[in-house]
Amino acid sequence: MNTYTICIFTENTIGLLNRITIIFTRRRINIESLTVSETERMGVSRFTIVIKHDSREAVEKLVRQIRKIIEVMAVFGYLNDEIVSNEIALFKIATPLGSKPLDIEYINKNFNAWVVYWQLDYVVIEKTGSEKQIFEFFSYIKPHGILEFVRSGRVAVGKTEKGLVEYLPEYEWEYYL
Amino acid sequence: MMNTTVIELTAEKPQPAVPSAKLLKPLTGAEALMQALVEEGVETIFGYPGGAIMPVYDALYDYQDRLNHILVRHEQGAAHAAEGYARVTGRAGVCLVTSGPGATNLVTGIADALIDSTPMVCLVGQVAMKLLGTDAFQETDVIGVTMPITKWNYQITSADEIPEIIAKAFYLAQSGRPGPVVIDITKNAQVELMTKSFHYKKCERVSTYRPRLIPKQDQVEKAAELINKAKKPYMLVGHGVLISKAEKELLAFVEKTGIPVATTLLGQSALSDDHPLYTGWLGMHGNYGSNVMTNQCDLLIGIGMRFDDRVTGNAELFARQAKVVHIEIDPAEIDKVIKADAPVIGDVKEVLNRLMPLVNENDHTAWRNEFRKYDDIEEEKVTQPALAPTTEKIKMAEAINLLSKKTNGEAVMVADVGQHQMMTSAYYEFKKPHSLVTSGGLGTMGFALPAAFGAKVGDPSREVIAIIGDGCFQMTLQELGTIAQNKLPVKIIILNNNYLGMVRQWQQLFFERRYSFVELQNPDFITIAKGFGIVGHTCAKREDLSASLDTLLASETPYLLEIIVEQEENVFPMVPAGTSVADIRLE
Repeated sequence: MNTYTICIFTENTIGLLNRITIIFTRRRINIESLTVSETERMGVSRFTIVIKHDSREAVEKLVRQIRKIIEVMAVFGYLNDEIVSNEIALFKIATPLGSKPLDIEYINKNFNAWVVYWQLDYVVIEKTGSEKQIFEFFSYIKPHGILEFVRSGRVAVGKTEKGLVEYLPEYEWEYYL
Repeated sequence: MMNTTVIELTAEKPQPAVPSAKLLKPLTGAEALMQALVEEGVETIFGYPGGAIMPVYDALYDYQDRLNHILVRHEQGAAHAAEGYARVTGRAGVCLVTSGPGATNLVTGIADALIDSTPMVCLVGQVAMKLLGTDAFQETDVIGVTMPITKWNYQITSADEIPEIIAKAFYLAQSGRPGPVVIDITKNAQVELMTKSFHYKKCERVSTYRPRLIPKQDQVEKAAELINKAKKPYMLVGHGVLISKAEKELLAFVEKTGIPVATTLLGQSALSDDHPLYTGWLGMHGNYGSNVMTNQCDLLIGIGMRFDDRVTGNAELFARQAKVVHIEIDPAEIDKVIKADAPVIGDVKEVLNRLMPLVNENDHTAWRNEFRKYDDIEEEKVTQPALAPTTEKIKMAEAINLLSKKTNGEAVMVADVGQHQMMTSAYYEFKKPHSLVTSGGLGTMGFALPAAFGAKVGDPSREVIAIIGDGCFQMTLQELGTIAQNKLPVKIIILNNNYLGMVRQWQQLFFERRYSFVELQNPDFITIAKGFGIVGHTCAKREDLSASLDTLLASETPYLLEIIVEQEENVFPMVPAGTSVADIRLE
């Protein structure tokens, strides 16, 4: 099983997520993670979908089927070594009186994680990195008592000189900023 | 501006493009929809009214002189009629139905249109926007339901959207690889007034959708090189040739290159059946030679076809020895089933025009003649026995063969799904293009009766003959009412064997004759037709067949001919599902 990251540029319209995911469902491909947000171009969304599959050919066929959706502008499929990718995780850690103190400096230096919010009884730590790095930190922090843990889907950029947006159809784009 | 009509909100001088004074006032969404259809050049709508589409039907009342509405008896009939219409005209068939059950009844036809690349625009009523998601009366999530079976779908929630979205719907349905589009229109959008002038401009491009019509030159050159080098080239012609209206280009190409040609089921009639290079049709029940030679050629040229499993049999054992040129407009079809050595993405007509100057004039008579030994075997083992009057009852093949002669192979044959469909494909000798309308990909029983009157409406100048099994007929027979009411002179032939014949054949061959729920107790079809006001008669004897067909063909009104056929006739050749085309059975 290889992990593939599929980047899809689409119009930002109602129902498109559904149109894309049914293509996976019909082929019995599970979505491991999915991230969508609008890009710097107004009305253009970028999907990053992670799947596992043992057939490159099947993934290529999947990509071509996604490309057929009218509102889809471009689709790219990558193996892990072709991209730089990251995820973000938030950990809510219990800090009741008398508990083992958190070594914030150690966490900063060794895990590149940050306290982004604190209250008397808990702190929220943000950790970005690969899935592996996030779970390494998870193991470290677990003895402190994790009240809540959430991990985002993957975001990724390709290891190419061009940006993917350059592949989009020519259009009078409006930009944020 | 081309293709543009502007109807100003406050027009002071009369404008020639405005058909009625009423349009000078702001239009309601329903009126805008009607006007948009007129602007788009729509002539016929197949529809059925109901609660959530009533404002549109009210507007239609004033448009009866410009839009021919045909009231069907079930929305599935509207969908198949629209398909029949589209298949003979090349233009999108239009359905107009209400929300909820009206829309869900279209679903089979929409799925059928998608898999057979048939352009169709379905206009569907929906509850008012305020009521969406409240389980309102006759509310169904039509966008959700039709998402996997449409090329595009969209929900209109305000009147102002109508002109632009309707234009886009027709463009998407008809361009590139055609397909069905569903437009869900909430009731408030039908009732409310537009806040701007009605302005209709035909859609010519959608920025995120760019079907490649003109092929890349290097792909064309590579294909030409393979074609010129091949010793035993073989061409498989699909529906795409007819969709692209490239029959003339195909003929010129075939005659220049001398390459033998087979068609798929839906490619039938792209090349006249009597052309010397035409070897027959392909697939599970296709011709012996046409099937077997896919495994002997050195180059396979698939053109406007998608290597359906009914064509390839076991794809892993299909044409392994051959290089493959695949000419196709949909890039997703390339390498989907059969790997292409030289894919050419583009519209078939454009590709053929560019290939023509690059391919050498050639003569492949010796190779073409290699098919003939299989033809001879098939003639002896399949065709002659199928046509021989050896049984008490008439055989399906006999009836179709005689019909073919009597109509000179020039009728539009609308075949339903099953044995009679395969017999129509096998024994009707098509002489004119766009002459076989049938449900290929989805295999929708009940398709033929509504598709036949849709085809007749689309091209009234041609004789349209529906070939229907006794099982299929009972799935959509209420459409006899539509045929009668609209006086559509469709000729209907029921080949009655009192069985679900194809299923019975499989049970006989692969399930040890365990005939599980395939025998039918049929009604008196002639009495039923009479009840609808359609004349007809039953032909049970061989000696009456010729006269019966003459009566049918001479009729100027719709006519139903029931032919009682041999009960346990089988369709051969047959490539059993999942086996190689080399394992084709002749008996």
